[in-house]
Amino acid sequence: MGDCPLQVKELEKSFKKKLGLSSFRAVDSISFQLYPGEILGFLGPNGAGKTTTIKCVLGLLKPSAGKVSLWGSHPAAPEVRRRIGYVPENPDYDDLFTPLEFMTMFSSMRRLDMSREQMFVILDRVGLSKWENVRIRSFSKGMKQRVSLALALQSKPELLIMDEPTGGLDPVARKEFRDIILEENQRGVSIFLSSHLLSEVETICDRAVILSEGKKVVEGRLEDLMRTEDHYRITYRVSDEQEELEIHAALLQKTIDDLRVKGYGIISVNPLYRSLEEVFLSATSGVGR
Amino acid sequence: MKPVITFALMTLRNLLRRRTIWGICIVILIALFGIGQIPSYGVSNEGRFILDFGLFGLEIGALLLAIGLASNIYPRDREQKTVMPIIAVPLSRGQYLMGRFIGAAIVEAAAMIVGCIGLMVILLMNGHAVPADMFPATLLLLIEGWFLLAVVFFFSFWTSPPLNAPLTVLLFIVSQLSVSGFIKLFPQAPGLMRALRLLLPHMDVFHIKDPIAHGMNIPGLYFLLAIFYGLAYMAFMLSVALVVFRSRDLK
Repeated sequence: MGDCPLQVKELEKSFKKKLGLSSFRAVDSISFQLYPGEILGFLGPNGAGKTTTIKCVLGLLKPSAGKVSLWGSHPAAPEVRRRIGYVPENPDYDDLFTPLEFMTMFSSMRRLDMSREQMFVILDRVGLSKWENVRIRSFSKGMKQRVSLALALQSKPELLIMDEPTGGLDPVARKEFRDIILEENQRGVSIFLSSHLLSEVETICDRAVILSEGKKVVEGRLEDLMRTEDHYRITYRVSDEQEELEIHAALLQKTIDDLRVKGYGIISVNPLYRSLEEVFLSATSGVGR
Repeated sequence: MKPVITFALMTLRNLLRRRTIWGICIVILIALFGIGQIPSYGVSNEGRFILDFGLFGLEIGALLLAIGLASNIYPRDREQKTVMPIIAVPLSRGQYLMGRFIGAAIVEAAAMIVGCIGLMVILLMNGHAVPADMFPATLLLLIEGWFLLAVVFFFSFWTSPPLNAPLTVLLFIVSQLSVSGFIKLFPQAPGLMRALRLLLPHMDVFHIKDPIAHGMNIPGLYFLLAIFYGLAYMAFMLSVALVVFRSRDLK
């Protein structure tokens, strides 16, 4: 599994409650992996354990049990960390610095040999070209997200870990972020994306993992998750007009036979697709903390 | 080492851009100005008084600076979550601690140098000679300040800033006590208190203002041993702080 950018195996994380008399299990034995070059959506309601999992992946939290490995190595290994870009949820960088100062310091801390021009290119790419010398103190949440994306892209990462990256962005900026994510993915970057925006995940992700109450409830390719097993759409021709019929799988063959008997031409028979929101709601239904 | 130095410089800039440090420097300068007024009270041996009070002011300044500089660094990083992207990607926890410590130590050193120069100017303005031992004495106070910085960092990993300051001051006071003075705190267990006193730092080794003010000669070996002791204890405190920091979850 050395080629697998991220592998999570039987991960558990518990936190002690006040006084340490009892504990709360935030992540309960979850396993999944991110394959090279794919975009994996990481979904779940508030408190499902997404951010806790991401922090375990980044080595910010120590797992109570289970294992996290990045390219087969421990997340804290320096050679592994160099290959990662991280976009945190609600980034709140030291507000006394400017984006350019941050880029300079982070590139030095990462031992990158970057010219100012290269930094300008990245800042321009994330939409901060006019703000490079302005202190972050005056930035909106969305602009801080842009700083954090610029810092994540700086090292040309092979794995981007993004925790609600578009949370504070307006629709235009969200589209710009999405485009950058897709461009990076086309470059071969594997992306682990936690998001509440199901439409976003539906648009850009290859697979999804859905958590609920700390447990993994769904994992699979989006196409497979959204395809219903029990309902089909039949498209057929009546005279010169095209009509559609949605029916249960049990009645599929009988309906096709009936339509043929009536002389209607069958154009196509396709499984019905649900929206990701429907998949999400059915997977997490009845859940409440 | 490059990541640590870069992060230390980042810390240095951060501290200089915050106003706390300038507030502390103003307090030190006001204290020095106050010491400069001693001659107007017609005190005998005024040179000795100025030196004595001046070095005492620097000692307290080192303590206040250590608390003012370091007690809020990690809690603020944690509260504002600025520590997450730093530790998640470019730096290890050890590099983070060293970078923050070195940055604060540079500011502490700069403030002590300014304080020492200020004291020197006051002595000269009042027509007194500057004893050569004043510089190594200030160096020892700086070593003490760095040690206190390490203590403040250690406390900041497991207490809140309001608790950090009194704990550091308590350690500062306790570590000035002699063995007999320490035993008096709990006379029922003299053996235990003696052992405890041996383990706790002996900050009194850094305070040589009285012998200097009285014109006594301090052997060079004493300075070297005191510096070695301070740096070794500081390294020990930073190691313990790192062990605590590594065991912490960054929620």
